[in-house]
Amino acid sequence: MAPLFRPGTDSVLRAFIALALGVPAASLAGLLLLARNPLGRGSFTPHEQPLPFDHRHHVGDEGIPCGYCHEGAWRSPVAGVPPTQRCLGCHAQVWNESERLEPVRASGFDGTALPWNRVHALPDYVWFSHQIHVNKGVGCVTCHGRVDTMPAVQQVAPLTMGWCLDCHRDPAPWLRPVSEVANLTWRPPGDPRETGRAVQAALDVNPRTDCNTCHF
Amino acid sequence: MPLLTDPARTDVLDTPGADGTEPVRAWRSLEEWHAGGPGREALSREHPPGAMLPPEGVARRTFLQLATASLAAAGFSGCFRQPPEKILPYSTPPEGLTPGVPLHFATGLEWGGRTVGLVVESHEGRPTKVEGNPLHPASLGAAGVFEQAALLGLYDPARAKTARLQGVEAAWSTVRDALRKQAERDDQGAGLRFLVEPTSSPLVQALYARIQQRFPSARIIPCGAALADGRREGTRLAYGRVLDVVHDVGRAVVVAVDDDFLATTQPGNLRAARDFVNARKPEAMNRLWVAECTLTVTGGFADERLRLRPSQGIALMLALAAEVGAGLSGAAPAGQGADMQAPSAPAPEPRAPTAPAQGSADAGSANARHRNADGRGSNARAPSASAPGPSAEGGPRPRVSPALASGLAGLRVPPTALTDAQRAWVRGAASDLLAHRGQGRVTVGPRQPPLVHALAFALDEALGNTPRLLEPVALPDGDPEALNSLLGELSDGRVDTLIITAWNPAWTAAVDSDFTRRLERVPFRLYHGLHEDETAARCPTFVPATHPFESWRDGQAPDGTASVLQPLIAPLFPGAVSEAELLSVFAGLESQSPYDLLKSLWRERSGSPPDFEARWEEWLADGVIPGTQAPPARVALDEAAVMKGARERTGPEAPQGLELSLVLDSRLYDGRFAGNAWLQELPDPVTKLTWDNAALLSPATARALSLEKGDVARIEVRGQGVDVSVLVLPGQPDDTVTLALGHGRERVGPVGQGVGVNAYALRFQDRPWAVGTPTVTRTGRHHALALTQEHWSMEGRQLALQLPQASFHAKPQALHALQEDGERLYPPGALLKSDRHQWAMAIDLHRCTGCSACMVACQSENNVPVVGRDGVLRSREMHWLRIDRYFLGDPDDPGFITQPVACVHCEAAPCEYVCPVNATVHSDEGLNQMVYNRCIGTRYCSNNCPYKVRRFNYLEYQRREPLARLRQNPDVTVRSRGVMEKCTYCVQRIERARTVARSEHRDVREGEVHTACQQACPTEAITFGDLRAPESRVRREHEDPRHYKLLNSLGTRPRTVHLVRLKNPAPKGGA
Repeated sequence: MAPLFRPGTDSVLRAFIALALGVPAASLAGLLLLARNPLGRGSFTPHEQPLPFDHRHHVGDEGIPCGYCHEGAWRSPVAGVPPTQRCLGCHAQVWNESERLEPVRASGFDGTALPWNRVHALPDYVWFSHQIHVNKGVGCVTCHGRVDTMPAVQQVAPLTMGWCLDCHRDPAPWLRPVSEVANLTWRPPGDPRETGRAVQAALDVNPRTDCNTCHF
Repeated sequence: MPLLTDPARTDVLDTPGADGTEPVRAWRSLEEWHAGGPGREALSREHPPGAMLPPEGVARRTFLQLATASLAAAGFSGCFRQPPEKILPYSTPPEGLTPGVPLHFATGLEWGGRTVGLVVESHEGRPTKVEGNPLHPASLGAAGVFEQAALLGLYDPARAKTARLQGVEAAWSTVRDALRKQAERDDQGAGLRFLVEPTSSPLVQALYARIQQRFPSARIIPCGAALADGRREGTRLAYGRVLDVVHDVGRAVVVAVDDDFLATTQPGNLRAARDFVNARKPEAMNRLWVAECTLTVTGGFADERLRLRPSQGIALMLALAAEVGAGLSGAAPAGQGADMQAPSAPAPEPRAPTAPAQGSADAGSANARHRNADGRGSNARAPSASAPGPSAEGGPRPRVSPALASGLAGLRVPPTALTDAQRAWVRGAASDLLAHRGQGRVTVGPRQPPLVHALAFALDEALGNTPRLLEPVALPDGDPEALNSLLGELSDGRVDTLIITAWNPAWTAAVDSDFTRRLERVPFRLYHGLHEDETAARCPTFVPATHPFESWRDGQAPDGTASVLQPLIAPLFPGAVSEAELLSVFAGLESQSPYDLLKSLWRERSGSPPDFEARWEEWLADGVIPGTQAPPARVALDEAAVMKGARERTGPEAPQGLELSLVLDSRLYDGRFAGNAWLQELPDPVTKLTWDNAALLSPATARALSLEKGDVARIEVRGQGVDVSVLVLPGQPDDTVTLALGHGRERVGPVGQGVGVNAYALRFQDRPWAVGTPTVTRTGRHHALALTQEHWSMEGRQLALQLPQASFHAKPQALHALQEDGERLYPPGALLKSDRHQWAMAIDLHRCTGCSACMVACQSENNVPVVGRDGVLRSREMHWLRIDRYFLGDPDDPGFITQPVACVHCEAAPCEYVCPVNATVHSDEGLNQMVYNRCIGTRYCSNNCPYKVRRFNYLEYQRREPLARLRQNPDVTVRSRGVMEKCTYCVQRIERARTVARSEHRDVREGEVHTACQQACPTEAITFGDLRAPESRVRREHEDPRHYKLLNSLGTRPRTVHLVRLKNPAPKGGA
């Protein structure tokens, strides 16, 4: 009588067990890696916009400060995208016949919105306020990177909860005087932590890490 | 451990009351009472059977298919990045708007012919929350259930969207052309009729006047379910003309006869509640005497409540008048019931009304005036309207005319008309009124006949209480006879054009008026309404109305203060037309927009000042036009007419047989809110019934008719009948059936369709509120009622505390056992580690009327879903804040107390210890936080919560339609299925306030954070704030001797404390 199990059976069984355990484990590991990777977070991917708005030109060359267009960052939870009339404030005179600015003029005349693509998206269950960060000495560049060097804006920070908490637990290295918040090229004069400590004391920076700080 | 299982006991609760009575027992339902405690399985179970069953209707196979498909979909979608979200900035930004920062606009809402001033929060143009306007005299910062739920009505997808002209869909411009043709008539409007609701809007009133001027023969006829108001004819009888009576109940003694002045259905209830509760300070309490039919929130608040059949109102008032008259005319107050009906000498016939003689204040008034000053001091917050009471004038007040006093004393009541208990109540109320002359108020509900009102005015005048009468605010004058003559004209075919702007007259018309059939004889009948309802179905021409938050209008508070009601949003459905726009076609003013009409009206009314534009902006911002209160009416009581009416009234006999009492529904009003899911699911404050109406019977009557809760009974009156479920309500007078109007709608959209039973089928023209001798028979069928009263049981512990004032003041330390921190199971953790803020709440049961405004506020602020009738039956309701209602004592005539309970944010929270995934954790500022993303739905926390305040999303309750999403508060996460949720102390408001304050480099100050429930409360019963702030009100209340902690023996250290309700019962044996 032939044996019920042939010698190869053990190998088959081992391979099966390895697969049964290995595939889920590998998938899980893959997903976890993906979440910790720019690829999974969508960072470092320049976002196409409905018209070729270039921060390099507007911020870098012309020196328009962040708050000129994103004034909400100082007094609202959302920094905001400027209304079309703000664009036309200049572009009614400058480049007012450019083909590329046709959508802006159309929006300005018929009142429809320009559909920009969101680059920095936090999940809906997170409540984030630009106002408090800007007024407590967190610079624009700290989270948004050197926007003045980006042809199309991309996300440079991971925007994960761990990243938020890193700073909320120890904000000192990331703080700067409120006057320098919108300065994209500012560097702390000495040790960033020392500068930050002075700012923290002056502005009474006391970030909270309780769940309800951001989630409700 | 006995400590953890024994209910908390206190000295006060254990020992008999000061007057030797047994301690009262608190209970929630008759089942619980008869079971001798909540030991029964059904009551002790956390959820009723079925609460945890999966949804029905999906077969296993379908479920597996769906599960596989969604798994596959989830797997695939993970491989691709989601499409980027769009950001759509404004092209031209609205003035003053910063995206992300909500704006607040003052506006208002009119119902019942009166306007409540409101402030509406708007997120980038979407109204998301309705709050009260602190500057408005009818609101004082509070908002009632109807006002708040109007927001849901705005986003109702069932609203009418398109106009019709003679049965054919048409644009508004086409309908307008047809109307213009109607308006170009040369018969002076002889065949033109308008069926409208009385309105307080000066703009609409001006349009009526203009129409009347253009078409002298046209008539504008008032109509509405609440129009049958005995008060109107009562003022005519007592003062010779129709006047408005303001509920001025901030008095030392208030005697309410069938008057539920705290009810949501009475215009002006928010202000009345505030005034009354302010005059009820625990240290110097007033006394409330209530004689009423169905148990109401006012009756629950009463110090001395009396069960009264509706038909007995006249007998009771005659007896009260006789008793007070006897006291006033110096005769010894009639001690025995029999004395009342047979005074030894007939009273002299009073002659013509005597001019009130000026004389010295009568005895007792010095004391009275002193107490009045106290009462007025507490009203100091009230902006403009203050009672022109005797003390306001300061000088000597009119003396009682002896003729009136003796006339009142001479009134007779047959001995059989009232029971001994009723006579005792009358004696007590009369002696209390006599002891507080000038400080009392006799108030009568709209359901009582005019004579009862007239006698109440006579009593108030005789006692120097000066009823607060104003020139009428609403027009057209609510004369019910006008509708009767219209009915005649309709059947004679004398009406060729009928314009209906009143809410749904085909539904609210009395059953014997035959309105719907007669309506169909009118060739051109137009209905202007928010929904395609029962009237729209009978009108070939229909114009969809704008929601009040979509159109310009104005309105007046009960005291006449005018407000401009500005729109919050452009009409969501472009075909909608406002009432002013519709009427302006007939007024010949259609070239002007309602905004222009409104502005020019007020320019004219304010005397065209040069700075009108600035003033106009100010009025819009404040929501109040200063100096527009209605003048007090200069009238004198027509004593002779009142006495004549009272004497000619053939003696009311003993009531016989059953009586049917119809009431406006506390949630649906006359039925207009039947399509509003928030209101349908809001439990009635007294019955705790949702999604239905029921015939309310007293326990004895139910036994006599062998009916039980949920049995379907057939009620027949005069050949009309309905089949309706029975609910046995303690406190109901025997042989009385109460049924709420407004339910059973036939064309109302998916929410209210067929919910409840239409009580208008039993409403007759001559007896709009109470009909004699209905027959009630069993049908043998059963209909489950979605009651919330037995949900979220707290196992019968003494929780809502109510004590007599005297016994509390005698032993204020009796509550110590409920106040001090006791033993605890767990060591104190790192609680209270924040030295900035420690948030806390205090709920004063002494001020809580149970009106439920806080529940709607919470639902609106926190995106709390509704679960439907089926969900409530399975105890799945999602209200974060519930109002527990306990009966106290005797099931036939019980006491009543309401207790709002939300998460109490225990410092040592039992829920936190059992969560396996740390989804509920404590914050350093004392908040018990719920982290939705961590929650895996084990429900252990709810199981371990002694207060039963956690709510689980058994199903996906949130609607995803675009309109429903517009309404959501963007600051609060919309929870999905499988997640636990509960009260957060409105942490989104704390964090918003913190962001603003900390950006200004300071801490949040007292008064910067209001929770939604606190903000809506008409009586300021809810206080929220920072325990660390030395001057905070919440800290004062946490140190108040009346405070106690719910289930203190468990050692949970709740952050929400409750304050004991005190009662001021009349001393036994006469005041």
